[in-house]
Amino acid sequence: MRSIGTRLALLYAGVSTATMVCLFVAGYYLLNSHLVHGLDLLNAAEFEQIKAELGPEYENLSVEKIQQRTHSAVEVASVFFYVEIHAKRNGVLFASSNLAGHRLPDIPGKHVFTVTADGIGELRVGEFILGPMDVMIGTSYRQVGVVMEGYTETSLILVCLMLVASVIMGLVLSRAAMRPVRLIQETANHIRSDNLSERIPVGAVHDEISNLARLLNEMFDRLELSFNQIRRFTAEASHELKTPLSLVRLQAEKLLVEGGLTPSQEEAVQMQLEEITRLNKIIEELLFLSRAEAQAVRLDFRRENPRVFLQSFELDARALAEHRGMSFTATIEGDGAVDFDSKWLRQVLLNLLQNAINVSPPGGRIRLTSVFMVDVWRVSLEDQGPGVPAEQRERIFDRFVRLEAAATNEVKGSGLGLAISRSIIGLHHGVIRAEAGSGAMGLRVVFELPIGDTKSADQSAKALAAGLKPSEPVLQPD
Amino acid sequence: MKILIVEDERRLGNFIKKGLSERSYTATWVPTCREARDALCETGYDAIILDLGLPDGDGLDLLKEWRHSGFNEPVLILSARDAVEDRIKGLDVGADDYLAKPFSLEELLARVRSLLRRQSAVKDTVLEHRHIRMDLLGRTVTAKGTPVDLTSREFALLEIFLQNPGRILPRTLIAEKVWESHYDIDGNLLDVYMSKLRTKFDVTTDRPLFKTVRGVGYQMLP
Repeated sequence: MRSIGTRLALLYAGVSTATMVCLFVAGYYLLNSHLVHGLDLLNAAEFEQIKAELGPEYENLSVEKIQQRTHSAVEVASVFFYVEIHAKRNGVLFASSNLAGHRLPDIPGKHVFTVTADGIGELRVGEFILGPMDVMIGTSYRQVGVVMEGYTETSLILVCLMLVASVIMGLVLSRAAMRPVRLIQETANHIRSDNLSERIPVGAVHDEISNLARLLNEMFDRLELSFNQIRRFTAEASHELKTPLSLVRLQAEKLLVEGGLTPSQEEAVQMQLEEITRLNKIIEELLFLSRAEAQAVRLDFRRENPRVFLQSFELDARALAEHRGMSFTATIEGDGAVDFDSKWLRQVLLNLLQNAINVSPPGGRIRLTSVFMVDVWRVSLEDQGPGVPAEQRERIFDRFVRLEAAATNEVKGSGLGLAISRSIIGLHHGVIRAEAGSGAMGLRVVFELPIGDTKSADQSAKALAAGLKPSEPVLQPD
Repeated sequence: MKILIVEDERRLGNFIKKGLSERSYTATWVPTCREARDALCETGYDAIILDLGLPDGDGLDLLKEWRHSGFNEPVLILSARDAVEDRIKGLDVGADDYLAKPFSLEELLARVRSLLRRQSAVKDTVLEHRHIRMDLLGRTVTAKGTPVDLTSREFALLEIFLQNPGRILPRTLIAEKVWESHYDIDGNLLDVYMSKLRTKFDVTTDRPLFKTVRGVGYQMLP
């Protein structure tokens, strides 16, 4: 059962029905003992009557007298009472006619008991001592049985009705109780990174639910604060770092333009300029990573067949690889539609290609493969470089991780390329991983993007369409 | 040509002003939104260079205000915010170009020139420079009358140079035009294509056609 409301309703129904059943059971025993007690009183009354009929000298009466007197006392009420009189030693002195030759069973040691007599049925028997005689008076238990049967029947019907009624009541109650929770759920569901300023409405009353809503709101406050901090940080960091960087760069350029430098001085200034460019790139990439982590990067998702996109990339990739004396081949198999942002995905491919070129031996072959699987589009790029040991393959996607093999290479990267690639693929709801190449050497980096028309991708597209209003932070919902 | 510079950092503002003045533009520098409004009320400008993070407001709001009130002269946004969103946002509000810090003065000047030219640009269908002739409609290129076989990327690249003969073209500007990339293209993709162009054209002439301007970009020599 997935709904707390249903669970609560069933719990409520169960508890209330069980309570009712308990009450009915207790009532059953009380009523039963009450009725039985009534029978005992009747038996006692009959005994008193027999005793009165026998007179004060009952000890001295002859057997016949006793039979006669008892008979006259008993026959009037023969419908109700079965009477048997024993003498202590001589056996039966009298048996009422309605016993029809049967005996009233005796349970030794008990004066009041319920017993089943042959041919008569269940009886409530009272045993009374009258001098040397034992007077046993039985009353049919049937009435009690009938009453108790009726009671049980009524109880069962009532319990069934109660069960149905309590389930309905439980559902109504739980709906009423869960309403504020649903309200909270709806609002919380609604609040995403692009409308973090929204809050759950909190009633004036102080109850558990409004406390929960308040707590959630406080959490949203903190969330909004940290989101804004990241946004502010990226904006401020950009400004604070780049404005001085601009000045350094402009000054350095000025030195070059004005001339008069020795060749070695000029070389030093050129190197400064190159380092500034590199530094700027690292700043840019770090800012991108922090914004991607805060879900503050918006992608321009388009649903299209990646074939054209890959062919365009192939053109540049081949040029880059061949320039460094390597070969590049692309195998593009299958067609299908995928949601992706071509600019960012191109960045991923370029990053992977750059890594592959950096590690490949002269004349190495770099292969790109694109295939459509059942529910993912899989792209892999394989090089013939030294490869990466299995235990380090996950680590290469971390920031500033440079493997020894790559570090010895002269080409300087920011060390952020794969981290950025993983971020971008993550924003596409895809996965990226490194595998061993198909040959003895080499590394294959594989990424997979979902083919399904992802809802979130749609939302992002909508957010893009709706979110281009200026001066309003536009963020991508996760 | 009168250019207004709105930039809160004094030294940077002065630097740009000086750079523009040396190229015989008339440049005015103001550090705040308020002064920018006043300056624009006093006199007209042919172009505005606008920083976004100003002490008394956001440059984007200022730009919106101007566009709203019918100021149609070109505006170049100069900002530290280099995210794609910021770029799109800026261009959406009505900026004509967007240059991210840190920038090179050459690049800024190239962009300002292209902005001012955009005002009166009449696109030719045939571009000529030295011994090279490019037919944009027929998609053909000839050097001294001999057809030269170019890939689509090489063609696009050459077209930009032919449209800006003799000017230094910054790498980012070229990347934006040829690869439609906002991100500085990685590695040496541009260098690779430039070397391809060089191999194809330097054999047709005794003087080199392209010059590498280190740290900035390339220039097609007159």
